[in-house]
Amino acid sequence: MDLVLRAIALFAFMYLLTRVMGRRELSTLEPFDLILLIVLGDSIQQGLTQDDYSVTGAVIAVGTIAVLQLIVSYSSFRFRWARSFLNGDPIVLIQDGEVIERNIKRERITREELAEQARGQQIASLGDVQWAVFEPSGAISFIPKK
Amino acid sequence: MADVPDMLVLKRDRDLEGRLNDIWVRRSLMTLIAAVPVIALFNVFGQRPDSTTLVSPEASLKIYAPSHLRGGLIFQARFHVTAREDIKDAYIVLGPGWAEGMTINTIEPSPVSEASNNGRISLELGHIPAGQSYILFTDFQVNPTNVAFGRRQTVWLTDGKTRLITYEREINVYP
Repeated sequence: MDLVLRAIALFAFMYLLTRVMGRRELSTLEPFDLILLIVLGDSIQQGLTQDDYSVTGAVIAVGTIAVLQLIVSYSSFRFRWARSFLNGDPIVLIQDGEVIERNIKRERITREELAEQARGQQIASLGDVQWAVFEPSGAISFIPKK
Repeated sequence: MADVPDMLVLKRDRDLEGRLNDIWVRRSLMTLIAAVPVIALFNVFGQRPDSTTLVSPEASLKIYAPSHLRGGLIFQARFHVTAREDIKDAYIVLGPGWAEGMTINTIEPSPVSEASNNGRISLELGHIPAGQSYILFTDFQVNPTNVAFGRRQTVWLTDGKTRLITYEREINVYP
């Protein structure tokens, strides 16, 4: 029973953490982020299974996390309000070549970073962008002007 | 104005209608999360030991042990008895809270005898001459499923059946 409760608590904590940290932090995977990810996984594992080395323990922990992930995924599919809460909504960053300052500040994105992302999608100038949307996944989608 | 991409709702996704306070909710929650390690720096979640000394006309007892612990931690409790008068047959008696949900790894030096004293753990130290000290080291590990808030850990120092010092302490064990 303890293992299931620990898995639920840690899943909820990790989910909350990823939601409140902001999607920007999660959208890039620099070398340091990769190291952090491994350290994070290791720290979580110790709190989750502690001194339980059994196959049963592993099945319970993984099974609980899988079920929770399924619940989150289904809720977000089924209910609009849950989708906003669990995944977040997109945010428009550029419309008609005009950067929406309030929205980029809110997501801690600079114009330079926005331009860098645009260049990555073969767009030379932000003025050529019809729409730029900061997606719930953390990616920025650019739709160029026709 | 060019066509709005599918599924985008400008009021919600551009003007952030109904979402303006979201950022403050996010910041508040992040502050709460950040507060946990800050609080931990003040030993709220263990495991730094604290020290208490009790004195009676016959002896003094110094207990050095953590009062905040977490599941799985290995820790030591030290009982330092100093005889101010000759103690013929000293005993350290530990209340059941000391062993509840704990693994006792070792007790050094090994007591002369170990017994149950009405459900308590009675450790016989033997004779301690006046002016001499006896330090008893006990090493524990918190069992992973052990959770406790305000669990009593009483310690008695006795000479035979005569109580010399009684100390009531409490521990918190976080999951």
